[in-house]
Amino acid sequence: MANTRPLSNATALRDEKVLRRVRHLGSARDGLQEWRLQRRTALALIPLGFYFVASMLRLATSDQLTAAAWLASPVPALLTILFVLALLAHAVVGLRSVLVDYVHVRARLVAAELLVRAAAVVLAGASVLAVLKLFLGR
Amino acid sequence: MERPLSPFMFPIWYRFQITSTLSILHRLTGIALALGSILLAWWLVAVAAGGELFAATHAFIGSPIGVVLLFLWSVAFFYHLCSGIRHLAWDAGYGFEIRDAYCTGYAVLTATVVLTVLAWLYVLLA
Repeated sequence: MANTRPLSNATALRDEKVLRRVRHLGSARDGLQEWRLQRRTALALIPLGFYFVASMLRLATSDQLTAAAWLASPVPALLTILFVLALLAHAVVGLRSVLVDYVHVRARLVAAELLVRAAAVVLAGASVLAVLKLFLGR
Repeated sequence: MERPLSPFMFPIWYRFQITSTLSILHRLTGIALALGSILLAWWLVAVAAGGELFAATHAFIGSPIGVVLLFLWSVAFFYHLCSGIRHLAWDAGYGFEIRDAYCTGYAVLTATVVLTVLAWLYVLLA
């Protein structure tokens, strides 16, 4: 493209360079959404975290029947699902920001991100299924 | 170009201050808690499955390694929670003065210790 324009046209050349830079290294345009998601999940995790940790520490040493009965009741079941989902969403954004800072090879970055996202989806699915199984009493 | 990045300064030239130390700890505890979510999902699945899987999980949590992991998880959790609230205050525009940053930094460390001790007193006494 640059060859078709006279080189004396400095403005066109500059604009093209700026455009090229923006296309390849410019704003990803969805960074704010990620920033918001991290803060919103952080806010949600303050009360959910206190609730869940208090319950967990109480249940950590208890037998299966006690833990199963707790997870089968509506409020703990709902709050546990919300806690796990908020936690994993928060973790994905957080781990991504760490990866972006330290993994400089593009292919490795993409692979690591995919791995983190896949792991989060699997953990979320397994946790929700487990709680739903107990809640629905099967 | 193979220019050294900033972390190369850590062992020798870099003097740690509470601000940077807490910032690094926030990341480290965040990574640790993300790994901990695997154990959390595992525990939920084990409770739902019952039987041998729960028995094995229960034995693991009760073992010395399990208890240490649970303790470290609680410390990381309370630290990341308190430090996270400090970060939210920064996001809202408060606490940027150096004096405030040091104050809230020590407050976060104190709150972490207090919450961890209270939580484990609760476990041991209940």
